[in-house]
Amino acid sequence: MKRIQTISYKLLIVLLVGTVITSCDNILEDVRQDPNNVTSIDDAPLFATAVRSLFNGTLDEGSYRFAGQHAHYYVAGSTARLPDQYTDGFDGAYNGIYNSMYSGVIKHIEEVLYITSQPETENPVRYAMANIIGVMGYARITDGFGEIPYTEGGKGKTGDILTPKYDTQEFIYNDLIQRLTASINVLTNANPAMGYPKSDPIFSNDLSKWIRLANSVKLRLGMRLRYVDNNLSRQVVSQCLTAPLMEDNSHNASMIETEGDGNAWYNRRIGYPSIKMSTMLVDQLKNTSDPRLSIFVAQDANGNYTGQTNGLNDEAFGKSDLASKSDMGLALSSQDSKLYVMTASEVYFLKAEAALIYNTDPTEANDLYRKGIETSFKQWDIDSGSITTFLSSSTGTLSGSTTEQESQIGTQMWLALTPNYYEGWCNIRRTGYPVIAERTDSDLERGVTNGIMPSRFLYSSFELSTNGTNVSEAISRQGANKIDTPVWWDKN
Amino acid sequence: MNKLLTLWALITLSVTASAQKTITGQVLEKDTNEPLLGVSVLIKGTNKGTSSDFDGGFKLQNVNKGEVMVFSYIGYTTYEITINEQDELVVYLEPGTEIIDEVVITALDIQRDKASLGYSVDQLQPAEFAIAQENNIMNSLSGKVSGLQITQGNTGVDGSSRILLRGVTTINGNNRPLIVIDGIPVSNASSSGNPNGGRDSGDALSDINPDDVASVTVLKGAGAAAAYGSLGMHGVILVTTKSGVSKRGIGVTVTSSFNITEIALTPRLQNEYGMGAFDAFSPVGSDGRPNLDYPGSWSYGPKMEGQTYTNWLGQTDTYSPRGNPYKEFYQKGYSLTNGVSFEGTTDKSAFRLSITNQNTQGIIPNNTLKKNTVNFRASSNLTEKLKIDGKVTYIKSHVKNRPELGEGASNTALQLSLMPRDVRLSDAKNNTVDANGNEIKWNLDNTFNNPYWALNNVFNEDHRDRFQSAFSAKLDISDAFYITGKTGLNYVVTEGTEHAARGGQANYNGLGGYSTNTSKSSSWNSDILATYTTNFLGFNATASVGANYRSDSGKSIGVSGRDEKVPNFYRISNYAVVSDSDYFWEKTMYSFYGLGQISYGGYLYLDATIRNDNSSALPAANDSYWYHSENLSFLFSKFFGLTSNMFNKGKIRASYAKVGNDTSPYRTQSSYSIDQTRTLDYTVASIPGSIPNPNLRPEVSHSWELGTELGFFKNRIHLDFTYYETLTEDQIMSIPISGTTGFGSYTTNAGAIKNKGYEAQLNIIPIETENFSWDMGVSITKSNSIVKSIDESVEAITLNSLMAVSVEARPGEEFGSIYGLDYLRDNFGRKLITNAGLAQPGERIKLGSINPDYYGGISNNFKYKNFSLRTLVSYQKGGEFFSWGRGYRQMFGTDATSLIGRVDGIVEDGINEHTGFENTVAINPLLKNYTNNFVSNIRTDLIFDASNVRMKEIALTYNIPKKALGNSGIQGVSISATGRNLFFIYNAAEDIDPEASNGSSPTATALEHASLPSTRTYGINVNINF
Repeated sequence: MKRIQTISYKLLIVLLVGTVITSCDNILEDVRQDPNNVTSIDDAPLFATAVRSLFNGTLDEGSYRFAGQHAHYYVAGSTARLPDQYTDGFDGAYNGIYNSMYSGVIKHIEEVLYITSQPETENPVRYAMANIIGVMGYARITDGFGEIPYTEGGKGKTGDILTPKYDTQEFIYNDLIQRLTASINVLTNANPAMGYPKSDPIFSNDLSKWIRLANSVKLRLGMRLRYVDNNLSRQVVSQCLTAPLMEDNSHNASMIETEGDGNAWYNRRIGYPSIKMSTMLVDQLKNTSDPRLSIFVAQDANGNYTGQTNGLNDEAFGKSDLASKSDMGLALSSQDSKLYVMTASEVYFLKAEAALIYNTDPTEANDLYRKGIETSFKQWDIDSGSITTFLSSSTGTLSGSTTEQESQIGTQMWLALTPNYYEGWCNIRRTGYPVIAERTDSDLERGVTNGIMPSRFLYSSFELSTNGTNVSEAISRQGANKIDTPVWWDKN
Repeated sequence: MNKLLTLWALITLSVTASAQKTITGQVLEKDTNEPLLGVSVLIKGTNKGTSSDFDGGFKLQNVNKGEVMVFSYIGYTTYEITINEQDELVVYLEPGTEIIDEVVITALDIQRDKASLGYSVDQLQPAEFAIAQENNIMNSLSGKVSGLQITQGNTGVDGSSRILLRGVTTINGNNRPLIVIDGIPVSNASSSGNPNGGRDSGDALSDINPDDVASVTVLKGAGAAAAYGSLGMHGVILVTTKSGVSKRGIGVTVTSSFNITEIALTPRLQNEYGMGAFDAFSPVGSDGRPNLDYPGSWSYGPKMEGQTYTNWLGQTDTYSPRGNPYKEFYQKGYSLTNGVSFEGTTDKSAFRLSITNQNTQGIIPNNTLKKNTVNFRASSNLTEKLKIDGKVTYIKSHVKNRPELGEGASNTALQLSLMPRDVRLSDAKNNTVDANGNEIKWNLDNTFNNPYWALNNVFNEDHRDRFQSAFSAKLDISDAFYITGKTGLNYVVTEGTEHAARGGQANYNGLGGYSTNTSKSSSWNSDILATYTTNFLGFNATASVGANYRSDSGKSIGVSGRDEKVPNFYRISNYAVVSDSDYFWEKTMYSFYGLGQISYGGYLYLDATIRNDNSSALPAANDSYWYHSENLSFLFSKFFGLTSNMFNKGKIRASYAKVGNDTSPYRTQSSYSIDQTRTLDYTVASIPGSIPNPNLRPEVSHSWELGTELGFFKNRIHLDFTYYETLTEDQIMSIPISGTTGFGSYTTNAGAIKNKGYEAQLNIIPIETENFSWDMGVSITKSNSIVKSIDESVEAITLNSLMAVSVEARPGEEFGSIYGLDYLRDNFGRKLITNAGLAQPGERIKLGSINPDYYGGISNNFKYKNFSLRTLVSYQKGGEFFSWGRGYRQMFGTDATSLIGRVDGIVEDGINEHTGFENTVAINPLLKNYTNNFVSNIRTDLIFDASNVRMKEIALTYNIPKKALGNSGIQGVSISATGRNLFFIYNAAEDIDPEASNGSSPTATALEHASLPSTRTYGINVNINF
């Protein structure tokens, strides 16, 4: 009897366990999926992220701590001024610049390119628009670092590539230009409905403006090759000049950041470390009675415009009374200040340089130079009277030798690029104008470059440890991983 | 499963036959003749046993003549009797403190004779954690259990503790042991600060009231913990709460303790040079104040000789040293704990109800903790065959102003450590806000506050409501077969709020900000277990099968805002820029397991477990995985008949276990997050930064241990030694990858880590007389975790980092190697110095390791009549840490070591890099400390030896004799004076506490930065029984 009881208990348990096992599989399946995210999505929100990342990239560490100080737009206080002393102990920052570009613009563009080229979701128009943003993102990274992972970059998910190989900057530039040409061709006859009617943060899906942007970026890249591959440069530039380019400020690629705290320069102006405008910039604007002075530079406590000297050593810096110098102007550093990645005024100065050098037509160059100044002034809502006055001053006309005229164009380009400081630094590296003098004064810090403006960012120790073989190959081709090793196109 | 059922059938069908009888009896307390409840009654050398009921009665069937019955009970001397002709027994147990050869609680709350276990177990009694009380009970275990390493950071009241059992076995995991309270595994997660800032939000362990705990058992190895499956991979700490008095009747206990906490160790600061740079005062700017930017606000000014100067506020003042700011700023903290418990036992039931109130005030004036605990536990024999046991615990705690740590702007220790040495703390206190409402401080840097501005304007508080319940039932189906069911819930609601006023640049950019967050987490755990015991052919066997279901989930909702509209109002409506978030997670696991024990002849014991876990965190194809463990105990002294008066116990044990582990949820599927936007008319989505892995497999660890227990002179000398090895493979890791992939990491099974070591515990009772006894214990642990491999795509995994120093897992090296830049040197190791006299950064090398060579504790307990004195010294030999606190203080010129070279400059030891001649260029110490520490990131001289010996605990207790209490109705009173962390006997790092970390992660002790002062605690503790 007892035996039977025991057996029935056992049977009961076996049955119970059996029931539990079969029902349990569903229990696990029910909770397996992440309820905080979606598993599939249209590419438009990803495209919007990439575009927004490109604009916010103009505010990143690379622009703010490095490019803006290297190009002598301003000087930061405290330890934020270390890059201005031409030192290179910024491993974390270099890594941060690299990572944020790849994880912002590149990763999302790669995903959009992937989605819009799959058979069931194919869309050549969106593919072309995404390509333009991708080209701008990649150009920015390679301009800062030189050789970078390009064909294999940003493909951790779409291509399962975890240690991407590096490409030469020459290869990258050639390919970027081809991608722009292909995109322009696609967009020229495209149906706007196939674009991003609801998700275009720049031009509200106006494809003609996208074409102008693509062609203007192509012009920028084409001119970048002037000293390193003159033939290709001339060929690309001449293509650009016959196609639609940005002509007025309505064509500018700009965005206002309305989310969060808005333009990050706002917090930097009111916060710490303080940012004071550079003596070089303030003096240039003052000496030429440039009406952009009061726009780019705020008055100090005494109502004057006073700049801070770049590159002071610690002792001289301590005595320099930084706190009393002029802040960045409100137009550049308010929460709703516009962010720019490409403007019509830049296009005019690039065209002026092309006219002067490639067409050897100084008159056309002068016209374009004056048009560039006018467009830049209009960008900052300067009244026409002031524009006329300025254009009638000596600065308003190209004069002197070709070199002197190039210097004039370079200086106006430098001013017009504000607040795209990163592009300002690139253009100085390419052209050598405006001249950033070698630091020889005993008050100035010469850093690790012997007083010469740094020409690139370093590959970080993190990159060296996670992608060592590939980055080492790049270093062996490109030259030592130093901040004074010029990138491929940098011959000045 | 099939295998298991076959085993089960085999065991149950075996026929048992031998001349056996039934023994009944009663267990009473000696002298009082009160019945004792819950006394373990075991046949020696078998698993056969029972426990006494509410009348102290017991009944044990199938007892053979000649077998020895063992009666043991926590807090009483064990009694043994050989069964001859008698059928009835009355046993008297004497209160005592014999600690060796006891009955211990093992996995799944099964009580076992310690001698029968094939793995290492330590069980602690209330005397070891309830007298010198800590808010976090785990801290009381420090130094008392071999293999257990506990470090308590200086993170304010209710801080978390870093806990490692036998070192590190997984690269990515938190490596914290599982905590099981009354059979229910609870979350052991901690949320701690780090050297870059943050606050320590404590851990679940601080919600255990020491007065409610009956015993703590530490199951060290995987063999001991295998029954808990993947949860127990890093070992298990079992906490059993008190369940009612052992005697019939009602008892009331009142406990009260009062402790004072004071600062014990602060960094040595220099007292000779005040604010300025390069031996000069900082130039006075247009605002009448000295230039407060770097390096003008550092302490590299002229020598302080009482001269007249313009101080940081722009006032004319005398230039003099102002003393130790730590001693002036921090106060004495205190903690007052009062508890009352009611216990009762009837013939069928027992209950215990306790209420405890704790009020703690930290060394920072507004850092407080209020905690109330209600604990109710009751058990009842509903019928002869059915026993139920249930408990409910409710803990409500309220912590105010957990201090910000490390580099966090409002970390008061950071501010004080860098404050120019001529700044009066009272000036800082009296000048916090200017006419425009902005913070006044001695430097422009918005990474620090004025400590008093922070005290008055930066606040946080959190409320935590924890509800724990456990319910269990045991049904005896026959004398040999019973089923237990157990279910428990752990439910926690945490509400946290923080805000900072407008005006402090370091906080929300000076705009003022606020955030509030509510999170709920729940875990529900249920077990059913059927156990059958039998004897055959001289073997005793027990077999159990069980199933477990566990569901964990959590939800959090938070809002945060910045840009304050009106002052002193802290609700979200008062902020212009607002963002919010919500998050939900869930994980489910179900398991089946079997346990078997078989013993022979009272000297050979074999245990085996098998378990199958099924986890929702793994992909469907790989979500089911198996473990097993085998444990062997062999009492060779008994087998070979070696037992004598001198040698009373000889045991060897061996254990092997294979354990697996799953991972956190949602790591297997790719997804997109929809980004929160408030102003955009289009949708923005982004791709998370980690690449998921749809093919994840469970990680696997294989471990074995060998141990011995030797007892001499009736255990007056007792040695317990264990050697162990664990190899954990296929670890689920987040591998950092090149940012050029677009991602920061990817999840994969990679890498292996081998952990091996030994631990030994020696107990000696040199003197034992009626009035005086002295026992001492020495424990030593050596644990070594070697990283065998990691994913081939990376050289090393960075586990933690601070200011260019990283703590790494690197193949072929110990887990937790500390890497940083050395000096640039020539082939002979000489530093290469520039023409300017500066050293230069060289190779990135291994500068140290977090792992001690060995560590342990030495305890001495003395008893004289009604006095007892317990002392504990803990020690650690070896291991290193990086102190950025020192590096920063040197750079700011406040550290005592920054005095070097103030007069004549510093000549770096080395050779000129161009000439090869010995360097003779003297440089300013500011330049040297700034360049080496901050620009060149040279870390060689900022790595310190963590070796230390500290006076961990002293407790003097007096038990008032019963005679003296007379007829007062009071049955017992004990008064204790206690002290904890009293002083260092030796500290290699001198003025820095090697345990002064900012968090509780496995590598937290590697990085010290601006830690709060170390503290000592002393107080009194009164315990009255009615």
